[in-house]
Amino acid sequence: MIADHLFFAGINVLLAWSVYVVLMTGSLSFAQGMFMAVGCYTAGVLTVNFGWSLVPATLMASAFASVVAAVVGWPALRLRGVYLILVTIGITFCGRVLLENFKYVGGVAGFGGMQGATHVTVLVAVALVGAALLLLSRSPLQRTFDAVREDDRVAASLGINVPVVRMIGFASGAFIAATAGSLFGHYMSFVRPESFDILLSVYVVLYVVLGGVNNMWGALIGATVMTLLPEYFRVLAEWRPTVFGLAILLMLLFRPQGLLSFRTLSSRWKVDQRLANLADKP
Amino acid sequence: MLVGQLLNGIVTGAMYALVAIGFSLVIGTLDKLNFAHSEVFMVGGFVAVLTANYMPWHLALLVIFLVGGLLGLATEFIAFRRFQTNEGKITAALASMALGLIITDLVHKGWGAEPVRLTTQSQWLQTGHSIFGATVLNLQIVILAVAFLLMAMLHLLLQKSRMGRQIRALAESSVSASLLGINVRRVTQTVFFVSSALAAVGGLLVALRGGAASSDIGLTFGLKSLAIMAIGGMGDLRGALVGGLLIGVLEALMFQLGLGRLVEMTAWVALIAVLIFRPHGLFGGGIHAQEQRA
Amino acid sequence: MKNSNVLRVESLCKYFGGVRALDGLDLHVSHGEVLGVVGPNGAGKTALINTVTGFYRATSGHIALNGEEITSFPMHRIGRLGVGRTFQNIRLFKRMSVLENVLVAQKGNATHLLRSLFRSGSNKAEQQDAMNLLELLQLSGKANNLASSLSYGDARRLEIARALAGRPRLLLLDEPAAGMNESETEQLITDIQQIRQQVDAILLVEHDMNLIRKLSDRLVAMDYGKKIAEGTPGEVLSHPEVLKAYLGSDE
Repeated sequence: MIADHLFFAGINVLLAWSVYVVLMTGSLSFAQGMFMAVGCYTAGVLTVNFGWSLVPATLMASAFASVVAAVVGWPALRLRGVYLILVTIGITFCGRVLLENFKYVGGVAGFGGMQGATHVTVLVAVALVGAALLLLSRSPLQRTFDAVREDDRVAASLGINVPVVRMIGFASGAFIAATAGSLFGHYMSFVRPESFDILLSVYVVLYVVLGGVNNMWGALIGATVMTLLPEYFRVLAEWRPTVFGLAILLMLLFRPQGLLSFRTLSSRWKVDQRLANLADKP
Repeated sequence: MLVGQLLNGIVTGAMYALVAIGFSLVIGTLDKLNFAHSEVFMVGGFVAVLTANYMPWHLALLVIFLVGGLLGLATEFIAFRRFQTNEGKITAALASMALGLIITDLVHKGWGAEPVRLTTQSQWLQTGHSIFGATVLNLQIVILAVAFLLMAMLHLLLQKSRMGRQIRALAESSVSASLLGINVRRVTQTVFFVSSALAAVGGLLVALRGGAASSDIGLTFGLKSLAIMAIGGMGDLRGALVGGLLIGVLEALMFQLGLGRLVEMTAWVALIAVLIFRPHGLFGGGIHAQEQRA
Repeated sequence: MKNSNVLRVESLCKYFGGVRALDGLDLHVSHGEVLGVVGPNGAGKTALINTVTGFYRATSGHIALNGEEITSFPMHRIGRLGVGRTFQNIRLFKRMSVLENVLVAQKGNATHLLRSLFRSGSNKAEQQDAMNLLELLQLSGKANNLASSLSYGDARRLEIARALAGRPRLLLLDEPAAGMNESETEQLITDIQQIRQQVDAILLVEHDMNLIRKLSDRLVAMDYGKKIAEGTPGEVLSHPEVLKAYLGSDE
């Protein structure tokens, strides 16, 4: 059903963007699984047990996830990127174990009763997040992110507080992943902790690698292509990990920046402005 | 009961150490993170399934060692050869991740997703002795013996052999090493061979103990060894050994204290704790400590 | 006395295991002056800049900026207090344009991160400021070019423009003329003389003796992490210790 396909593509796009936001600051995060779970379960509890409606529940759950991200990421964000990768992997494992043992939300057996999300909801979320990312790409903050990503020591010498920048990226990524999680839960109606495991996080990172790491469209393309293609080509679906793995290997060997590798300039000096200013000079 | 659990913990710890040492070796000498390592570990168990029915387990061990080593060479060629620059490090890590996905999928296609029983011919492994009131299986002794033997051999290789000196020189500085006439590619291949061989044997031992080869241990056991490596100090082999034993024992204690359901978290929580208090790991030496954090 | 010194360094030591990059260095840079620093390779000149800016954590000793102790401050805090620097091996943000390299260094955006999200990329005043700096260093015609496409000389000048964008009080230049030919070096001398008005003090590390002589009010010579001579350029460059240190180098 096409609605289903659109839905899952949308969820994966949101997850890919959540990785992209962290990647913009030069860090790689594998914690999407965990933050997605936090979003899903928190929003689920709010709607099912407390009667909240979907949108406020999702927003609250996402905000909560960002706070968790800030607290948990703080030790590792100050260190070399490799340590963040390890901590994010660890976060995902710990998250799953904690959820499996948390009887209030069903433990291993899962949590159900969530409803209210449709493919339209997801597409709206995609549009909103996309708009926010677009706004970001035109702002000075994008330049700051790029500086931190490209050379964090030089960025620090320019007065940029690198750990805080990384924190903003990490927390924002968690926010988006949590939103995806909430919508996922309210569409599927029933989830288990095992749906949010490390493999999901790995896949999402690889979507971004495939599509392109330098701009938001790459993540969009990577996620959409890898979600929709297997739906229409059986062979791809059966051999999904191998095909995907091979695609990634080939991409990394020949075009490591991904399919869409451009970076948009956030600021362009307009020539006519300059001429006008020159005219004023003595 | 406690002694038995502790022994179990040490046995598990020895296996963790074996895999963690492999990770540590590659990152210590080559500054590369090989995510296919945990899948090679997993494959070790399946090669065991293939061979253990046809030959005595000590021969199977040799075969698995070699297969692991060859997979290591393949990993180096596919995922790391092309990416030698500084920016290439993340790319290589991602490539090794992709390779890991492929390996896991091929195993699934070959054996299915369920664990596969490993039938060992000898009953000897299952016979136990009573020591300090606990039952010690020959199996456990074998695992400890193999693990420590391999670690000792690695130590000898690194400290006493010519190749070992070259490996250590490369770990200090890849630039100086090539200036000294060291064949960097040959040393790199040796490092990958040895580390992956150790991982594969680790997989065999785990499969032996559990009685089955399972395709998802790469993601659980294997990645945990990654955490252990960081706990011990990246690139520090002693650290990997101590870290492995420590986590193994800690997990056993968790069971003893009735916290068994949370046991999978142990290594990761320990990692986060170590990162807060001692960011470079327990034995924080090696090339990673040399970059001063301002 | 202390407050007329933009920078004061006392008994500064930086050890890396057995290597003593800085071994009890004392120096100061007064308000309005250009202090030249010379010395053979390995004398510790770049280590000095790295330690003052917080790139390296000092092993012992004191660093004071305008009387304020900054010895163990993190890099970004030192940057915000008004220290700008260039790098010996050029470290521009290659994927950004020339203009963006300067814009990113402007203080408002570095310090008020969330606010900077909501400014549109073409804030007129900021762009104008950046362009003025680029004009000063003859780069305004290349504002939209990628930093990676710049020639060596242009890249060095962009480094300086970027360091100035944060309106530093103290500017540390690490071999700005390295690799430049004669005419480029002459232009650089003129540029730096113009830049003097923009900052409170400059510390200039250089090998090019012509440039050092013309620009420095005072000169410090280093070797083995210590100061071996201090005075006017004429005095220092004819000092026996300094000549001895340079013997064997190809200056």
